[in-house]
Amino acid sequence: MTGVAEPRARPQPTTRGPRARPQPTTLTRFRGWFRNPWGKPRFLRVVTWAYIVWSIVPVLIAVQFSFNATRSRTVWDSFSTRWYWGDPVDSVWHDPTLRHALVQSFKLAGADVLIAVPLGVLLALGLARWRGRGSGTSNFIMLFPLVTPEIVMGVSLLLVFSHIFTFVHTGTLAQILGHVTFSISFVVVIVRGRLFSIGRQYEEAAADLGASPLVALRSVLLPLLTPAIVASAAVVFAISADDFVISQWLSSGGPTDTVPIQIYAATRAAPLPSVNAIATIMMVSTLLIVTAGFLTWRFFTRGERRAGKAAEDFGGAFDLT
Amino acid sequence: MYHRWLWPAFALPGVLWLVLLFIVPFYAVLGVALGTVDPVLFQPVPIWNPLDWNVGWLSEVLTRLGPGGIWFDVEVRTIVYVLISLALCLLIGYPVAYYTARHAGRWKGLILILIILPLWISYMMRMLAWVNLLQLNGWVNSVLMFTHVLSQPRDWLGGSASTVIFALVYGYIPYLILPLFAALDRIDRSHLEAARDLGASRWSAFRTVTLPLSKIGILGGAVLITLPMFGDYYTPNIVSGSPKTTMIGNQIDLYFHGGPQPTIGAALTIVMAAFLLVLMLYYLRSIHRAQHETGAVGAL
Amino acid sequence: MARGEIELSKLTKQFAELTAVDSIDLHIPGGEFFSLLGPSGCGKTTTLRMIAGFEQPTSGEILLDGTDVAYTPPHQRNVNTVFQNYALFPHLNVNDNIAYGLKRAKRPKAEIRERVGKALELVQLQGYERRRSSQLSGGQQQRVALARALVLNPAVLLLDEPLGALDAKLRKALQIELKSLQQEVGITFLYVTHDQEEALTMSDRLAVMNAGHIEQIGAPQDVYEDPETLYVADFLGVSNLMQATIVRADTSACHVALDGYELETRGTDRDVTGEAKIVIRPERIELEEHGSPSGPNRIPAMVERVVYVGSAIQVIVRGATGEALQALVQNTGGGIPYEQGTPVQLHLPVDAVRVLPSGTGDAPSLEGEEPDPETVAAG
Repeated sequence: MTGVAEPRARPQPTTRGPRARPQPTTLTRFRGWFRNPWGKPRFLRVVTWAYIVWSIVPVLIAVQFSFNATRSRTVWDSFSTRWYWGDPVDSVWHDPTLRHALVQSFKLAGADVLIAVPLGVLLALGLARWRGRGSGTSNFIMLFPLVTPEIVMGVSLLLVFSHIFTFVHTGTLAQILGHVTFSISFVVVIVRGRLFSIGRQYEEAAADLGASPLVALRSVLLPLLTPAIVASAAVVFAISADDFVISQWLSSGGPTDTVPIQIYAATRAAPLPSVNAIATIMMVSTLLIVTAGFLTWRFFTRGERRAGKAAEDFGGAFDLT
Repeated sequence: MYHRWLWPAFALPGVLWLVLLFIVPFYAVLGVALGTVDPVLFQPVPIWNPLDWNVGWLSEVLTRLGPGGIWFDVEVRTIVYVLISLALCLLIGYPVAYYTARHAGRWKGLILILIILPLWISYMMRMLAWVNLLQLNGWVNSVLMFTHVLSQPRDWLGGSASTVIFALVYGYIPYLILPLFAALDRIDRSHLEAARDLGASRWSAFRTVTLPLSKIGILGGAVLITLPMFGDYYTPNIVSGSPKTTMIGNQIDLYFHGGPQPTIGAALTIVMAAFLLVLMLYYLRSIHRAQHETGAVGAL
Repeated sequence: MARGEIELSKLTKQFAELTAVDSIDLHIPGGEFFSLLGPSGCGKTTTLRMIAGFEQPTSGEILLDGTDVAYTPPHQRNVNTVFQNYALFPHLNVNDNIAYGLKRAKRPKAEIRERVGKALELVQLQGYERRRSSQLSGGQQQRVALARALVLNPAVLLLDEPLGALDAKLRKALQIELKSLQQEVGITFLYVTHDQEEALTMSDRLAVMNAGHIEQIGAPQDVYEDPETLYVADFLGVSNLMQATIVRADTSACHVALDGYELETRGTDRDVTGEAKIVIRPERIELEEHGSPSGPNRIPAMVERVVYVGSAIQVIVRGATGEALQALVQNTGGGIPYEQGTPVQLHLPVDAVRVLPSGTGDAPSLEGEEPDPETVAAG
């Protein structure tokens, strides 16, 4: 039975209660900090920023040395673009090995995007909507490349081209085939994530209003998938440009070597800052493309941000759980 | 919806591609590993009929990997490197992920970008950066001598296990931080507040609420880095020229590129793949169990 | 042939082990505002989706103006839907959203422009053509969804809990708008909801669904005042249920015995003998002062609790028969006339008490614990 409580008396200041606090002065604030300099957030903040510096600064230094005037990668002289185009023998522009590596990397990445993205988008749509037999197996097959170590894939591709599909020799074609194979799954995961957050409601609404499934796909679903498609293209470009193992295993040497292969070879020999330069060029290209992809994503999903979906989708591709 | 043939038809090209260029190559590995070697040409002779498979080379590989075998040391070393690297990655990565997820406040977006950034920087470039710094006359030695930690330049790149581990940690840690961040970010603040409300100190709230709930993230990140790490051969090659620091991947690399004996290489690949498969299944089971405990829902 | 006539015949939908819709029969003449009412999981949304075409029935027929459309794809049916979260295409503005269906039907541009304009007028959103859905409020989005569906002149409009995402005040305003819209346009509206007040307010007729089958169909007044099953009695508003024994029953009146008291109730044409439940709505219980002259259908009781809900006062009493009943008294501004712990006399008017055969279904779970003050006050 809830009776009516007596009105509570106002709490009187007592000697037991919290003392009245004096105004915080600089001295007391410093004392507070000192008493607990390892207060959790502070310690973590230091660790985090230290990590970020440790993670990024070495790369920035490498970039800096690509502009070194001397042949040293370790002792700074002065600013020069000699390794990019200045030096008539060893700069990226003039050294055929480096130039070809750059071209090959872009070639592979471009071909990878043009093939893997359409295949992946179709596969994502098919897997997301397919209800029948075989869909589970197909899903499993799609996920496998994501967890397979690259060396296993490299070995298997090399052997399949040596003994089964022998009409494919090592070289650019083999490399492209290999790149697409590990890229498809990334496209599927990204696009499927977006499909999942879109849901079936728009397709149902389109069908309700008279659109056949294909028409609904074209007029409603694809426009809504555009950010995911663009983002996956950027991702594919990046992982293709970064790829070392598959490219190396399926390379036929010479002009089919990519930038990562060149860097690898160079670090084991006596490299010039030109290798820094080529690495920088590749890195900047990738970053530009990824940024463009990300900005496109944000642009196309700007209408949905009021509902609060936005950037989580993009980072959500890394969420394995 | 209707038109049942539509969606499987969409999936067909991709699935076909993956079957031809992913599944079939695995079979090629089996065929070569379980095949024979032409004694005259020293070429592998693959055997495609499972009934005729020759396990000779496979058992040879297993012998070499067993205690006393010639690869035993490499095998143990690989496992040690991977475990130490994983531990270090967790040690460094967890606080970073935790801070970013829970305490970063208005810096969160920027920090997130900075943490994701290394993923888009070529692995080779990141290794190159440290190779430059670790040269005899590189910055690391200069700074260490300047602060009198070292009296003379130290050869970091000549075959040092700690350099290899350092490089592995540097290279793979971003792939651990991200899933860890995702898992920690997802933890509802109200769980922690409830714990504090019920009398838990900051540390024990962390220990009893946050840590268990982030288990999924830890496992996910661990999968994401240890599986590729087991197959890594290029990192030891870049930061250490020496056979004293080779990993299992180097062995495979050797048998394909260093004087080709593809059959042994293929057999070793199979053993490694089987090992990783077992590991993968173990991870999946742990994640599954952790999901049940926390009620988290998967997206894959 | 009436336009917008729906006939469901033995319609069944089975998912794996769950029978969502269990062989229901329903006939809705054209031009009616008809509601499917029930709690989550009762099958009302599944039924709606089958009529729309998003689910294929396991068996049964869906006759739309005489033609069985059960296996026709949704884009070929002359039925349009207003979805629960509107499903406005985010990449199109208001104008293009509404025009979408007309474009798919390949209507000429001039006709599209004209019809879209009229649709916007109908829902009072002229001038909003260029806006995107993210720039609209919930109520505005709902109206665009309506316009988008109505512009195609469907025979039937299906509404899947369209007001669920809106706040209470907006919801009430839109209920009235929807009802007058339906009367203006004149087509069949099939409305799905779990909110019994909504269904009672807007419908010409309604069907109460439970676990895949229909419990009762009828006009709101009939269903509320004359519940045929325990479930319907308890789902719509507060029901005061009492266990009783039938003494005599026929179509003009029934006599029941309750713990020593005999009551006369409304007649029933159901076959009732032995144990039964009787039900009376709270607003029909008359409270008389203790010591008032006794008479037929009067039971002494004690006031257990008095709850003030603004427009009315709930008086929870414990009858001499041992059961707790809720009476509802309009607030006439004279203060709260009943005190906890005082005796009163209950008068249960004959034509307000109804007999339900025992075993007519289960009462809905979790209902009737604490009556929703809002519903009671408005009902």
